[in-house]
Amino acid sequence: MTTIQSTRFGAVEIPAEDIIEFPLGLVGLRGLRYALLDRNPGSNFFWLHSLEDPALALPVVDPRLFFRPLPLALADEDRERIGLDDPAAAQLYVTVRIAPNPADVVVNLRAPLVVHGGHGYQVLNSAPGAELRVQLFAPADPPHARSTRRAGDGAPIADAA
Amino acid sequence: MLILTRRPGERVVIGEDVLVTVMEVSGQTVRLGIAAPQGLPVYREEIWLAVTEENRAAAEAAAAAVRCWQGLRRARTRGRAADLLARLATGVAARLVRVVADRPPALRPFGCSAQRPS
Repeated sequence: MTTIQSTRFGAVEIPAEDIIEFPLGLVGLRGLRYALLDRNPGSNFFWLHSLEDPALALPVVDPRLFFRPLPLALADEDRERIGLDDPAAAQLYVTVRIAPNPADVVVNLRAPLVVHGGHGYQVLNSAPGAELRVQLFAPADPPHARSTRRAGDGAPIADAA
Repeated sequence: MLILTRRPGERVVIGEDVLVTVMEVSGQTVRLGIAAPQGLPVYREEIWLAVTEENRAAAEAAAAAVRCWQGLRRARTRGRAADLLARLATGVAARLVRVVADRPPALRPFGCSAQRPS
């Protein structure tokens, strides 16, 4: 059990098995050890919290809940690093840029996080439509409405079941 | 900065295990082949910069949002307390308390609207 003193959440206990090692870190951020915190159970949104920097936490969500099918194409080197031929078999997350207005909330489909066997990698997704900033909620479409869309086609989508 | 002239097919060795091969030169474009160990990720600069910016923005926007929600919660708590007082109070005192309760929540310092992100 590790305890972190999060600037946001105060003291948080993290069981050893919940620690995710990012051997290459996240692109442009320091730190190699993170944990997924479920601060709002049932919301499908998690905090990827650094174990080394008490102020560093990124909101993440599984993009497959919102984008079906999820455009995903990884380089061979990334597949080798992850140790999986099929990245869909791993846990998959994208970083979320929160905004006061839900219509401004965007996710980064270009650089998803693949977590498998206690290791995580931020990889590049070269699939068409997997852009750096993709709107998560369309303005006219409440997050719990049941509909689907493909990334990049601009139509409303949400399926946060 | 070290500047080298290379022809197609020629290579540059960096350290013990990074090999850069000039594959093709065509007009303004150079194609490079890069062999690097698994622990050394290779990115196009503009993509590396964009993803770095996006990661930092996600962390910063989240910090701002948490401050925003805390501000909203405090504002709502203040509003509820004032409402309760207003119900209990009568006459002039009630009007005074209502004036306080009707003040818009102090949201501007948090840079957020009254809408909670989903």
